[in-house]
Amino acid sequence: MDFRLNDDQLTLATALDRLADGYREKPIEFHGFALSAEGLDQDLSDAEFFDIATFPDLGPVAAALAVERLARLPYAAETALSMLVRPHLRGGTLPRPFALVENGQAGRFVAQARTLLIRTGETWEIAHPGSGDVTAVETIFAYPMGRLTGSVGRLPLSPAEAATVRRWVRVAIAAEAAGLIQAAIDSTVTHLSDRKQFGRPLGSFQALRHRMAECAVLVGGLHWLALRAAATADDGDAALAAFQAQDCGARVAYELHQMLGAMGMTLEHPLHLWTYRLKGLLSLMGGREAQAGAVGIHCFPSETQRNGHGAG
Amino acid sequence: MDFSWNEEQRVFRQTVRDFLARHLPADWESLAHGPGSASQTAFSRKFCAHLASAGLLIPHWPARWGGRDADPWTAFLLAEEMWAAGEPRGGQYMNVNWIGPTLMRFGTPEQQARHIPPMARGETLWCQGFSEPEAGSDLASLRTRAEPVDGGYRINGQKIWTSYAGEAETCFLLARTAPGKGGISIFLIPMDTPGITVRQIPSVIGEGDIHEVFLDDVWVPADAMLGTEGQGWSIVGAALSLERVGIPRFALAARMLDRAVGKLKRSGAFVGGVPTQAARAKAACDMSRLCAYGIIDRRRHGVPAGPEASAARYATVLAERAVAEFVVEHCPDALAGGDPMLLAHHQRAIVAGIASGAAEIQLNLIATDLLQLPREPR
Ligand SMILES: Cc1cc2nc3c(=O)[nH]c(=O)nc-3n(C[C@H](O)[C@H](O)[C@H](O)COP(=O)(O)OP(=O)(O)OC[C@H]3O[C@@H](n4cnc5c(N)ncnc54)[C@H](O)[C@@H]3O)c2cc1C
Repeated sequence: MDFRLNDDQLTLATALDRLADGYREKPIEFHGFALSAEGLDQDLSDAEFFDIATFPDLGPVAAALAVERLARLPYAAETALSMLVRPHLRGGTLPRPFALVENGQAGRFVAQARTLLIRTGETWEIAHPGSGDVTAVETIFAYPMGRLTGSVGRLPLSPAEAATVRRWVRVAIAAEAAGLIQAAIDSTVTHLSDRKQFGRPLGSFQALRHRMAECAVLVGGLHWLALRAAATADDGDAALAAFQAQDCGARVAYELHQMLGAMGMTLEHPLHLWTYRLKGLLSLMGGREAQAGAVGIHCFPSETQRNGHGAG
Repeated sequence: MDFSWNEEQRVFRQTVRDFLARHLPADWESLAHGPGSASQTAFSRKFCAHLASAGLLIPHWPARWGGRDADPWTAFLLAEEMWAAGEPRGGQYMNVNWIGPTLMRFGTPEQQARHIPPMARGETLWCQGFSEPEAGSDLASLRTRAEPVDGGYRINGQKIWTSYAGEAETCFLLARTAPGKGGISIFLIPMDTPGITVRQIPSVIGEGDIHEVFLDDVWVPADAMLGTEGQGWSIVGAALSLERVGIPRFALAARMLDRAVGKLKRSGAFVGGVPTQAARAKAACDMSRLCAYGIIDRRRHGVPAGPEASAARYATVLAERAVAEFVVEHCPDALAGGDPMLLAHHQRAIVAGIASGAAEIQLNLIATDLLQLPREPR
């Protein structure tokens, strides 16, 4: 057990923060849902950030940290699948951006993706769509969303590949959600510190302080669950992290908007850029019940096994 | 970043498990009514002496006091295994965690020579006399008075919720020698001192845990004071910083959840909404565990615990609650005589949000110190 970052990971974090500095503020004139910046994708690509999971001394933990940090930006970028799933599939050679298409539904970055991971029930395929195969759609989810509309050629994933994809998509969901929730909390803290009612800052009212503190505990826990899953690559750890992301995500998104009052309903305030991305993660991979099913299989001793005691 | 145990830690954990397997009697689970019960206290005296002889009572203490200067992980692994097994050390875990180390730091040589060796041998039980009827979360408002008299102090007042008081030999007592936080002093008092009366409080949490302690004209010699007059509040602050993570409650909670899910799977009842509730409880246990590990990791590297310690404490409250609610809903028969350990866990899980700093107090600390929200008006 050692929760410190190694020197390479620290250097990476500094470099990432420097790169992200250009993208920390929502442009004042932007009043929409999906805020994206081509420059961000290009900057990340130029610095080889999409491949850090494969670098010795960085690895998937560093990739998960990067996904988490980048999710804190108001800009939506296709980082999670590229940084955490792509490196584990076919030697990391498939072209990015990546996107997930589940049961024919609209998905994040589907209109931009060069590789699609297609899940139909328990069947997994991949495809490389042309521009005629996908259609961009406007949604309330604060991602560029798209739909697979053409009959693109699909290749099946082997059962082992499907298991790998399932595992790392779950880690990706958890890492991204942790960053989104943290940024949404930070944004809400700023509002609660500035906004006064009844002659005092809202953040001094205990009814709000305690709910904020609970959100902070939940995201702190999610952060560790996500990093542990990235480090162990264990199916149970991955399912548990994704479960927690989806289980607390819904609650936290509601809580934070509630605390902003009417300001939280506007597109002027940036909160929705995090919370409505978070909402876009809640149904992935079948949603929390499906993650719970996986937790039930991987995290608890099987029917025949005798309970050993202890913390292991 | 590494989430695995190193070889030394694995071996140590196994050593502790082997020790438990050898020294816990077959009917241990029905004996483990909670660390305060008379039966468990009696057992603990033998058990802790064995632990001490095996070098497993105080490995993290300095060699000078019989330990081997082991790192904070060792102490925490040990605490996890003990708590997961139903805390066979009983109340002696307090000696090991903070009373002994506090005496090493603040005690006179005479106090150290008198009190520390029996703790190191696993022979003695202490109780913590902090809370009073009018001083719970607002501990600094405590009223028990210690007045200087010839050669010592005369103490009058009342303590409440005092764990182990019925069985303990010595009390780590807070009393007031002057007004304000700076007027609180600490006394190390034998529980058989004339004027001390202990009354057990019947409770939902199990046998023999909480007590009232009445102090009527209790005379103690001046050398019973730890530190100087008025130094009590700062000593307690330092003492409790050793306990910032608190008891590794998640270890037993997770074990009980495994057991409950195992029962449900075997009877075909792990269906419908049950896996989702189980996953929620499992996530709560693992979050509690990892948040606690984050604090131990800081301690290991000499970094102060910070407000994350309060977050870890609150995560534990969530874990205890989730498991207790899962078991009461899905395994009611286990609580009705079917499984004494699940029962003992359920009875004691409710304590997590109250004892040693209530949940709402932790939330206040998180809001102010971690989130940096504006303070509440006083
Ligand atoms: C099993 C058990 C064992 C214990 N053992 C010991 C022991 O050995 N020695 C000892 O000295 N004490 C012991 N205690 C006492 C424990 O330290 C106190 O219970 C604790 O400090 C809380 O105080 P209280 O019970 O008076 O609750 P109160 O302080 O009356 O609080 C009641 C409720 O009000 C909330 N509350 C209080 N203040 C605030 C605030 N400012 N803002 C918001 N909410 C607030 C609390 O969070 C709680 O929910 C034990 C308690 C238990 C349950």
